[in-house]
Amino acid sequence: MTLPETIPFIGFGWDDLLFMMLAGVMLGAALLVVTMRDIIRCGLAMIVCFAALAGLYVLAGATVVAGAQVLVYIGAISVLVLFAIMLTQDKAGPNALVFQTQAFPAAIASAVLAVLIAITVAATDWPDAAGRIATPATALAETLFSDYTLPFEVVSVLLLAAVIGGVFLAKRERGGSD
Amino acid sequence: MLGALNGLSQSLDAYLILAGILFAIGSFGFLARRNAISMLMSIELMLNAVNLSIIAFGAFSTSLNVDASVIALIVMAAAAAEATVGLAIVIAIYRNRKTPLVDEYDAMRQ
Repeated sequence: MTLPETIPFIGFGWDDLLFMMLAGVMLGAALLVVTMRDIIRCGLAMIVCFAALAGLYVLAGATVVAGAQVLVYIGAISVLVLFAIMLTQDKAGPNALVFQTQAFPAAIASAVLAVLIAITVAATDWPDAAGRIATPATALAETLFSDYTLPFEVVSVLLLAAVIGGVFLAKRERGGSD
Repeated sequence: MLGALNGLSQSLDAYLILAGILFAIGSFGFLARRNAISMLMSIELMLNAVNLSIIAFGAFSTSLNVDASVIALIVMAAAAAEATVGLAIVIAIYRNRKTPLVDEYDAMRQ
């Protein structure tokens, strides 16, 4: 059994429906991340947001980046953030005030920023925007390990430095008070 | 009204506006939250929004197609390094000050 070309009764394609669902999930989860009171739930909503974003990458044809998104963001960074939350949470945490006093001006400024970006994007005539092109993994590998060899190596050194720096910063000092 | 949504996934504008909204949400979280880890999570949201716009440009341009994926992967690695160091700094400050709330980090002002 094959699916029809467009969705029955609504009349637009499956890709568009998928795009709208993923976009809705991503924006909803992102709003939950910045507004929810319990910070552990913020971290879990962040995982949902990253997963929806990986779906959007697949929809845009960048499957390798989607895989890296799942591995790096959902697998590594989210777990790191959740562990940091558990290490720094005190019992009064969720009951304390969540927002700064400048939350309302910040909301206005962010809404203005979103509207400005939307207007700029809509007003600009982007060249060469005919349709989506999938990125083949073979071409990506060839480019990454030929044209971008130096950035690749620099990033590996950066990650090593970050890991050593993180361990140095977070380790308990010997003979400290706690 | 639904006809305007037809072909949404085939337009670069939709991806870029989505990335812009996600970036705005992240900037709101960074400006408004009191918890330092919430602020770091908002920075991650903003980095993801930038990544989404890079991927969108790559998906809709033949000359940028492969390079955009490479750049997005490098941004991801840089974001991982940033998260590692940022969370380590937050944990180190928490050990001294016993609070993750940034508006109580006022030792330099007193």
